[in-house]
Amino acid sequence: MDYKELRLLEMLNQLSLSDAQKSEMLEFFEKRESDLAILNELDTESVERMVHVMPISTVVREDIASQPFDRDELQRGAPNAELGYWCVPRVVD
Amino acid sequence: MSTKKTIVLDDMILTKTMPTTAGSRMLEGYMSLFDAEAVTSLTEAGYEILGKAKCGEFAIDLVGESCYFGCELQDGHFVNDLCEKVKAGSIGVGLDVNGSIRRASAQAGLISIKPTYGTASRFGTVEVACSGETVSVVGSTADDCAEVLSVIAHHDTKDGTSLSSDLCDKVKVCAKKAKKVAILSSSLDGVDDEVRAKIDTFKAILEKNGVEVCVVDSDIFKFARPAWNILMCSELCNNVSRFDGVKYGYRSSNFTTIDELYTNSRTEAFGELLKSAILFGSDNLSTDNYDRAYDKALRVRRVIVEAFDRIFEDFDAVLCPACSKMAYTPEDIKNNKHLCFEENAYTAPASITGLPSVALAGVTLIGPAFSDGMLLDIARMYEEVCK
Amino acid sequence: MKYEVVIGLEVHVELSTKSKIFCSCSAEFGAGPNEHVCPACCGMPGMLPVVNKRVVDLGMTAGMMLNCHINRTTTFDKKSYYYPDLPCAYQTTQWFAPVAVNGYVEIDTPSGKKKVRIKQIHMEEDAGKLVHDIAPDTTHVDFNRTSVPLIEIVSQPDLSSADEVIAYLERLHSLLRFARVSDCRWEQGSMRCDVNLSVRPEGSTKLGVRTEIKNMNSLTAIARAIEYETARHIDAIENGTEVLVQETRRWDDAKGKSFSMRTKETAGDYRYFPDPNIMPIVIDDAWFDEINASLPEFPEVKRERYITELGLSEYDADQITSSRALCDCFEDAYSVCGKAKDCANWIISEVMSILNSKKMTFDMLTLDGKALGALINLVCDGTVGRANGKKVLLAMFDDASIDPKKYAEENGFIVSNDTSLVESVVKKVCDSDPQTVADIRGGRDKAIMALFGRCMKELRGNCDPQVLRKALMDYING
Repeated sequence: MDYKELRLLEMLNQLSLSDAQKSEMLEFFEKRESDLAILNELDTESVERMVHVMPISTVVREDIASQPFDRDELQRGAPNAELGYWCVPRVVD
Repeated sequence: MSTKKTIVLDDMILTKTMPTTAGSRMLEGYMSLFDAEAVTSLTEAGYEILGKAKCGEFAIDLVGESCYFGCELQDGHFVNDLCEKVKAGSIGVGLDVNGSIRRASAQAGLISIKPTYGTASRFGTVEVACSGETVSVVGSTADDCAEVLSVIAHHDTKDGTSLSSDLCDKVKVCAKKAKKVAILSSSLDGVDDEVRAKIDTFKAILEKNGVEVCVVDSDIFKFARPAWNILMCSELCNNVSRFDGVKYGYRSSNFTTIDELYTNSRTEAFGELLKSAILFGSDNLSTDNYDRAYDKALRVRRVIVEAFDRIFEDFDAVLCPACSKMAYTPEDIKNNKHLCFEENAYTAPASITGLPSVALAGVTLIGPAFSDGMLLDIARMYEEVCK
Repeated sequence: MKYEVVIGLEVHVELSTKSKIFCSCSAEFGAGPNEHVCPACCGMPGMLPVVNKRVVDLGMTAGMMLNCHINRTTTFDKKSYYYPDLPCAYQTTQWFAPVAVNGYVEIDTPSGKKKVRIKQIHMEEDAGKLVHDIAPDTTHVDFNRTSVPLIEIVSQPDLSSADEVIAYLERLHSLLRFARVSDCRWEQGSMRCDVNLSVRPEGSTKLGVRTEIKNMNSLTAIARAIEYETARHIDAIENGTEVLVQETRRWDDAKGKSFSMRTKETAGDYRYFPDPNIMPIVIDDAWFDEINASLPEFPEVKRERYITELGLSEYDADQITSSRALCDCFEDAYSVCGKAKDCANWIISEVMSILNSKKMTFDMLTLDGKALGALINLVCDGTVGRANGKKVLLAMFDDASIDPKKYAEENGFIVSNDTSLVESVVKKVCDSDPQTVADIRGGRDKAIMALFGRCMKELRGNCDPQVLRKALMDYING
């Protein structure tokens, strides 16, 4: 990871780090490499990945529509809403 | 009039009548439109919700020191707000994401339980690391914890990871007395003398109660931390991406384009630790790193689960430190801003596996799934001697 | 040099469900802005996804209709990117284990049948809608469509012309509507597609540079876009007019051109990973069999059966098999009355024209086919006159609970067998118009229709036309 890659990572996550934090972040990524080296001590080639710790399957819900939520309530904390819409700066294709 | 203790919630638990901030400027003053399942069930069971306690930003730090709204210091070390309120007479309920509740309670002379994953509904908690985080209880006694756990542990159709009622009920009883407890060799790496003494004290009390304690060679504590950090930060990155200044919460006043709105809102509202976690998590999920980092961590998770299974063939529980030292100072953070990603070595094994864990007196106990009642029973052995 | 076009399609189809995929907001089209939104689908924290069973049912149905292998354990994954129509900045979709894989669809081409292979079908949530024309500097965001369930049908690059693409899409449209997976309405965006296209010298095995045209929502536009892109690619290869790059493009139908898209959505890394909040969906044998048993006959199988077994004309069979609802109505009516030809006539001439007059699509038909069968029996056995039968049918459209026989009785639509009544009406009508009677007697046979009509009106339609005709002839000639 270098400054250029870090910049792309920041952009991908809509963040902008200060210069001081950038260098700390690069150090942090260095540490990851040693952490990955630790994990690589384990041969996991034939180990199945474990996403969920409990071996249960999904309990599905019936297709029933509920009463609508109050829109004014939903938008009460909105930084900018009008005419029932949330508003953002114009997004141009 | 109820004689029950009051409840204090940490700020990861959503409430309709009080703001929920997750310790972040991003959610300053945020009012949820619904209550967490834990809040609903406690209220229905007759508990009064006294209020909220501050927590670290999205609950990933040591003991709450990253909270945007401040963290108190006592004798030069950080104090956890939820624990302070429990000391004042309430029972605490919070979201254990990265062990801060376990660390804080073990350091504050309190007791906490992070129940078996899937038994306490996470509906209405601010999601961070969903595959391992658990609604947890902090009390002054094991009985406090057991009492509140028996209310919040139940099946909830609103949480797709919620276990069946039969399984949830299992955590409310002590099915068997612990006879053998293991101390894993790797868990004592890096702890100071004070914590080592805590382990020795606990060991002695167990032995006095006829429990055999053995040191077992195991690498679990070596592998759990790096794997958990990858999983936690990746899930966190994805979960907190919803906080973008559009729908609710903090919006920067400095923008013209949508990207500036996103970037400036997030940059201004998120703390440094959270930003590190986001970037770290994102990079672990990237096309280049997915296999060697995220996928690897998912496989290591299974290795750890299976290692615990083998230990629990011979032992009823594992005894390990809750932290490397009994208090954290601002100096610690200054020296290592990412200390919480190292100090969680002691809590990561239970986080990554979803196993129940009880923390008190500088130590934690980890047991097989649904052994929550037994772990609290072990804690009572300590309480009888030391309280 | 001769070139060949290699085309693969990603078709998005909104599923016909009442509620959204992970929350129970209504999935209905056409509400006011943000009226079908809850904390979950506008990205607020704390609400966990709970999977709608119907979505999985329909995903499996689509997979089976398109000859796919159904993954008995299917999982959801998260895909991350920032865009204002995506409230959580991630979309929950299927990346690692989609519900259906490895299928095919057969299409007709000038050189015979062709198999188009389906790579996979995955279930996912739709994004919201951005409105750009309310204010000049502001985009207005509507999350009503957010989390409405979709399936994406990904084909292999087996298509080689606009005509094949249209044939493929029409085939999907017909199969999915037949299986009630989706209403597939291009104009409402419930069916739309991305076109992946590349061009290479004929016979070459190496693929050319691939471009993707996103979000196409009409067949004519798709055909035009393919012609345009093909020409653009060939021009670039032959004349070096531009350097082709792998990219996403937008089709502007008004300008008749495609344009490179440089939005946020096309940049960066989606960082797919398994959703920790959604447990694997395990499709057991009982569930699999239930869906398998519910599959409809393919439309062309029905058509063939209607012609060979039930004796319908090709025209009638085509008309009825154009819609699953018409087929269901026809089959229910036939099961009651056993008169295939009459059922077809009633559906094509009466039912379809009532639907047209009500500006309803055939798929919106809710008429009880069994009741229609009973009505056809009443008309065929002469109990109710045909004109009155139509009145009964119209009433049945407005009230599904109507029993045709009871309704006909209550409204005086039962044909009378009382010949003395018919004779008295004939006498009355003829006597009131001696001129016409004289004309008929003088050889103007056609004039009899006027008298016939007046008699029938007088009898309120409740007379067997043969009986009336005979009574009239007898009276005039007698």
